[in-house]
Amino acid sequence: MSLSLTYKHVNKIFGENTKNPVHALKEVSFTIEPGELFCLLGPSGCGKTTLLRSTAGLESITSGQILYGERDITDIPPFRRNIGMVFQSFALYPHMNIFENVAYGLRVRKTPEDVVRKKVTEVMELVGLTEELKRNPSPTGLSGGQQQRVAIARALVYDPDILLLDEPLANLDAKLRRYMRAEIRRIQKATNITTIFVTHDQEEAMAIGDRLAVLRKGVVEQIGTSNDLYTGPNSAFVSNFIGKMNFFNATLSGPNTATLDKVDVEVTVKANKVRFSDTLDAGTPVLVGARPEQMEVLTKAAEGAVEGVVQIIQHLGQVVRYEVILDSSISEVPLEIDMPGMIEGVGEQDQVFVRLKKGLPFLFKVEDRN
Amino acid sequence: MKRTPKNLQHSGRLGEVVKKDITPYLVFAIPLTFMAIFLIYPMFITLARAFMPAGNKLAFGSFSLQGFTKFSESLMYRKALVNSFIVSLAVTAFCILIGVPMGYFVARVKMPGKNLMLSLGILPIIMPSFVGAFTWVILLGRQGVVRHFLNIVLGPLGIEVPTIYGMFGMILCMTLTYYPFVFQLSYGAFASANSLLEEAGMLMGAHRWYIFRTITFPLILPSLGAGALLVFVRAIGNFGIPAIIGGDKYVLPTLIYFRVNGFWDLNGAASIAVINVLITALVLYLQKRVINRHEYETISATHSEIKQHEGLTIRIIAIIYCSLVLVISLLPQITIIIMSFYEKWVGLFPEGFTLKNYMRIPVYSRKELFNTFYLSVLATVLAAILGSLVAYITERKKPRGAALLDMSIMAPFILPGTVVSVSLLSAFSGASIIALGGTYTIIVISYMIRRTPYVYRSVAASLSQLNPSLEEASTIAGANWFYTFRRVSVPLIMPAIIGGSILTLTTLLQELSTTILLYSSRTRTVPIQIYGAVADGKLGEASALSVVLLVVVFVIVYAMNRKQGKSIASSFKMG
Repeated sequence: MSLSLTYKHVNKIFGENTKNPVHALKEVSFTIEPGELFCLLGPSGCGKTTLLRSTAGLESITSGQILYGERDITDIPPFRRNIGMVFQSFALYPHMNIFENVAYGLRVRKTPEDVVRKKVTEVMELVGLTEELKRNPSPTGLSGGQQQRVAIARALVYDPDILLLDEPLANLDAKLRRYMRAEIRRIQKATNITTIFVTHDQEEAMAIGDRLAVLRKGVVEQIGTSNDLYTGPNSAFVSNFIGKMNFFNATLSGPNTATLDKVDVEVTVKANKVRFSDTLDAGTPVLVGARPEQMEVLTKAAEGAVEGVVQIIQHLGQVVRYEVILDSSISEVPLEIDMPGMIEGVGEQDQVFVRLKKGLPFLFKVEDRN
Repeated sequence: MKRTPKNLQHSGRLGEVVKKDITPYLVFAIPLTFMAIFLIYPMFITLARAFMPAGNKLAFGSFSLQGFTKFSESLMYRKALVNSFIVSLAVTAFCILIGVPMGYFVARVKMPGKNLMLSLGILPIIMPSFVGAFTWVILLGRQGVVRHFLNIVLGPLGIEVPTIYGMFGMILCMTLTYYPFVFQLSYGAFASANSLLEEAGMLMGAHRWYIFRTITFPLILPSLGAGALLVFVRAIGNFGIPAIIGGDKYVLPTLIYFRVNGFWDLNGAASIAVINVLITALVLYLQKRVINRHEYETISATHSEIKQHEGLTIRIIAIIYCSLVLVISLLPQITIIIMSFYEKWVGLFPEGFTLKNYMRIPVYSRKELFNTFYLSVLATVLAAILGSLVAYITERKKPRGAALLDMSIMAPFILPGTVVSVSLLSAFSGASIIALGGTYTIIVISYMIRRTPYVYRSVAASLSQLNPSLEEASTIAGANWFYTFRRVSVPLIMPAIIGGSILTLTTLLQELSTTILLYSSRTRTVPIQIYGAVADGKLGEASALSVVLLVVVFVIVYAMNRKQGKSIASSFKMG
């Protein structure tokens, strides 16, 4: 039975005593529950891979602690941590056949031959490679998806305490990637090993993870289930990283009311959509946020609607996406608005009016959104 | 940001060190110590000796520029310096003139037997160069067969063909030995160039010659530069050719030999060695500067097949040109095989067919044969271990000062063989703390120092291609450093180790320029024996021994080519 994994005030500084130290992880503290499939999500350079490699022991952390259950594993060298890891490049050994690749961790542990056979057969069955094991080719003779399965089998065969997956789907094509993420979830649930899955693809993270952590510049921005993060993002960054969010520059005029800059439109949001914890004074600049489906495009001026010009119209199947440019003092980038169908008489470069649907928008603190 | 108190952090670090796997550090200490003692220390002593008064006394504090002022005072020194310049520059120029057209023809003109031409074209550089030199004595010496023949034809016209001895012979001989570097590397560049670039030029209205001048040639320039550098470094460091056919024309390596062997003037030899190295370093620097300005990334995903010239005229020209170059450059190999079966060859035809030359080998050269194989194989194995470990350290552990480590292990690559021996003699001969004069050990060490770069480069290149996650995966699976090194790293870099070792072995079997200053009666090798036989005028015996060497080297190289299928010339490249 796998235990929990806890990070306590973990800091990692690369090149600490050099001129350009890079603070890759800042005060990272959270707990992953036993048997949980946990996703680390963030843009490249956010520190997610560093956190994963520190968990494995491939990087040493500058300060803080990593606990497995109650045990401090911070200073244990990687080869004594009993961790399974699947690399982005799979890292299969071209000089060994797939049986020996999978058996590697057992050979290291000097496992008797009959146990090795039994365990390799079992794990290959779990990942669905029984037929390939009979032929036992070199891993270079397998397809991408099969190599991926061998890599997973190799990481699982010695019953690791923790399984680490470093962007394992990045080298697969789009169709296989969707299939394999379901497979990984199935295999993880079958073994019930505490697992960390690193990715920069939010759709992948939302689909696969029990919970996810969004990292930015070495800081954990928010942790929660896919639904928590989508419906209750704590910052403008998270809201626009988990799904798309349109932002309007506004000024706070009441506890849950803001006035859009320049056009003087007042927006009132529900109390739980005010996504900052500290009380801000009226007059503080804030951001009003709305997802593409929380807005509408109108052909005529109306109460609370803001004037804009349609830039691009994309028919995406279930919805039609309108990209609308507003005055740059309200929104610097074009808005993305999803409508259930084409709007009669509106073409690209036409003037339209944009309105926020009542009660749905969010209020965020103004922040650096990169 | 909160930070752990300093002392707590420190104790954490300490704990880590204790629990860490310390095997790698123990293993790495050995090659690094070896390099410090046998490479860095001798270099330092040589440099110190260069500024001491003539003689072999290692007297720190007695500063003298005597060794250097001789270059302006002594006519012999001055001439040797000038000769070295003339010979190496001329050889480099001629190699380019011969090698580039040949590379272009074989790569870009439709003709039969290209693979054969490439294989034959490699032979001159895998053969001992001094063997080439003494066969040219047979062909163009005072009584040489070719000269004899030409004089019969040209004599009545009042033209006399010059003998091989002197500048003409050295330049001819080195050019024919080293042109393959330029040929093979420019062939590679011409053959692998992206034809789309040239086609684009053509569509924009450029003529064929214009395209060659503005597109094709600039793009092969880096390869050409690498080839030219190889030729220059070898030409200026070559001992065997000037020693055999230089006659009264000294060059720097023979001058060094003369200082050591004639006067036991190690300090004087060190001064010459320093000058020799400075010239090489200067040329290396100039080459790097020129090439760096012309190094391009190829910016294209698609790569289409190079179109070949099919015109009849150019095909005939190309075939005649290539065959002519090959035949002339392989004349020594043919001559030597014939010569080895005859007593003498002074007129048009060899005289007195005999197997005696071969029969004599087991009787008179048994010790030399044993020494050659023993020393070469031992040095190769040790160089393979040393080179692989150092490559592993610089590529994987990336310690501070990795660049310095890289530079010092590669330094002997551009050092002439005589310079390496002088530095080892400077440090370890006579009454020094570690006295190695005349031992097997000093020869093995000199071989290792000179050839480790081959293995090092080969393995470093292979490791840089190897994804580190292969090794990390093993660590994660629970293997300690040594297990990972043994089961994952070594098997994956094995082809590179073998490739580098084969190259090392074949060049060591024919090593002359280092051994000539280090051997004793106990440690004579086959090349020394051949050199001695040539000096005594026993050409038949020298030929038979050379043939044995040629056959062994050829078999090894042929086997490697079959297995690895890559060009040997490119393995000599540095960087």
